[in-house]
Amino acid sequence: MNLVRSEFLKIRTTNAWWLFGLGAFAMLALTFLVNALGAYYALSEPTPEGLNPDDAATFEATRDVVYQAANLYTSGQFFGLLFVLLLGIVVITSEFQHQTVTTTFLSTPHRTAVILAKLVAAALAGAGYWLVTTALNIPATIIFLSTQDVSNQLGEWPVLRSILLNLLAYVLWGVLGVGFGVLIRSQIGATVTAVALYLLGTAAGAIFFTLFANWLDADWISDLQYGLPSIASGLMVSGTNIPGQPVFWVGAVVLVGWSVLTGTIGTLITRTRDIS
Amino acid sequence: MSDGQIVVSGLTKHYKNVRAVDNLSFTVEPGRVTGFLGPNGAGKTTTLRMLLNLVKPTAGTATIGGQRYADLKDPLRTVGAVLEASSAHKGRTGINHLRVICGAAGFPRQRADEVMATVGLTPAAKRKFKGYSLGMRQRLGIAAALLGDPQVLVLDEPANGLDPEGIRWMRDLLKALAAQGRTVLVSSHLLSEMQLLADDLVIIAAGKLVRQGTVTQVMDSMAHSAQVRVRTPQVEELTSALTALKATVTPNGEGALMVAGIDAPGVGRAALKAGVELHELTLERPDLERVFLELTAGKAAIR
Ligand SMILES: Nc1ncnc2c1ncn2[C@@H]1O[C@H](COP(=O)(O)OP(=O)(O)O)[C@@H](O)[C@H]1O
Ligand SMILES: [Mg+2]
Repeated sequence: MNLVRSEFLKIRTTNAWWLFGLGAFAMLALTFLVNALGAYYALSEPTPEGLNPDDAATFEATRDVVYQAANLYTSGQFFGLLFVLLLGIVVITSEFQHQTVTTTFLSTPHRTAVILAKLVAAALAGAGYWLVTTALNIPATIIFLSTQDVSNQLGEWPVLRSILLNLLAYVLWGVLGVGFGVLIRSQIGATVTAVALYLLGTAAGAIFFTLFANWLDADWISDLQYGLPSIASGLMVSGTNIPGQPVFWVGAVVLVGWSVLTGTIGTLITRTRDIS
Repeated sequence: MSDGQIVVSGLTKHYKNVRAVDNLSFTVEPGRVTGFLGPNGAGKTTTLRMLLNLVKPTAGTATIGGQRYADLKDPLRTVGAVLEASSAHKGRTGINHLRVICGAAGFPRQRADEVMATVGLTPAAKRKFKGYSLGMRQRLGIAAALLGDPQVLVLDEPANGLDPEGIRWMRDLLKALAAQGRTVLVSSHLLSEMQLLADDLVIIAAGKLVRQGTVTQVMDSMAHSAQVRVRTPQVEELTSALTALKATVTPNGEGALMVAGIDAPGVGRAALKAGVELHELTLERPDLERVFLELTAGKAAIR
């Protein structure tokens, strides 16, 4: 407990957390607007004529109020998770960047305990980001839905489920960040790699698996993209099942898997590494 | 307080191409300042980091009061360390740096303010670390080491970057800590500083132990290099009288003779017997600097 508190104090006494928070807030405002616009058209326009049956089914699903509400309540997730990832990375790499790791391991020679404390602290910080994000999303969404003459949908289990699973995503991305930071100790290296992988890797992964699936005419290959942590997170918080997508809990399982993997590898590496 | 003796035994560290530390054994006693001396690259830092469980030894052990660092129940209450390449977050204030450590070790928060005062940094406590001078950083490192009021202090080249005033302050502090019965192990390649500070010496070169003992013992072990300086108007007579006694005589170029292989009373007696007039007769102890260079000579510093 002391260790977690100390790790939290480390986060609080430096600038990264509120800088990233500011970034997340700006992106939240932007994505909420985009989502609200999307919801406005989806809820008011009829399904266009002349779509093939598959696309029409997808379109129908997105017209669902529950889907749109869940999407609005979890606005800002894509970039919010990126900032939580970066915070997790900073939690570990700043120790090497500023050579404080010596002091840290002198206070606590049990390195596993240190890494665990960092994982918990990063996860809690992620939860904090979720809390603020959600506290902003809820009133904004309620106001938007009321302008559309739609009730707030918070009584719908899939909507609540999405909001709660969104919390899980924020928590797990903090964990992912710490695990990633252990693997790439250089702060700048880890940050740049993470941003590149997150932004480009997500798009490239989605395109690659989709094209590959079309080329081989095998739908299951397209589903492999949900193995990517960022796409899995989006899937996890979708309010309704979109045809052609795995169910939401697959996303949760994938994300937990990645977190456990990076967390474990990170801990094992740190336990035996020479600090000089 | 427990005894706090440091025992290093057969300690070895191989890096890819270097034996940084090679089967090194020595002990460090409480109540004394022990200088851990060696030229750059001798393996001092590596040894200290192995002692503190930061670097994994290839072989051998190092214990503090009979326990490995990793097994200490309350490490910061037992050992305080100031290491090279340990630092604070540039954007964090000095006092917050100490509070983070207090938090991890379970010390009360006001301990941070107390040690800040001990090292005289209170006025700068709320400034960020990036604004600290080298001397202030070193003081903050010492403050961190003192947080747990430890029985053992380990410092790696603490004088680096300090001004003469700072060095003096550090020397007085370390001597006072040793006088309280604590174990103080200080590494350095600055010999002059060790001469003023240390009671005991452990000298290493190329990862191996060269000498261990009190400062006087180490100097005496080199006594064969002690020389006697004499001044006389009758250079030839004295030279032949001394060479007859198998001493070697060399002019030092400043009008005096340097005599090796015989002690000062021996020179006086020989002069009296030969009826030679003496104007000066001094025993020249080699300074630590020279002893050190002789001891470590030939062991390449850069490996
Ligand atoms: N992490 C490392 N990897 C490879 N070689 C190292 C490492 N750390 C130290 N060395 C080598 O080990 C030797 C001893 O270094 P060090 O313990 O720092 O000496 P000192 O502190 O006495 O100057 C040097 O030759 C150094 O180059
Ligand atoms: Mg060194």
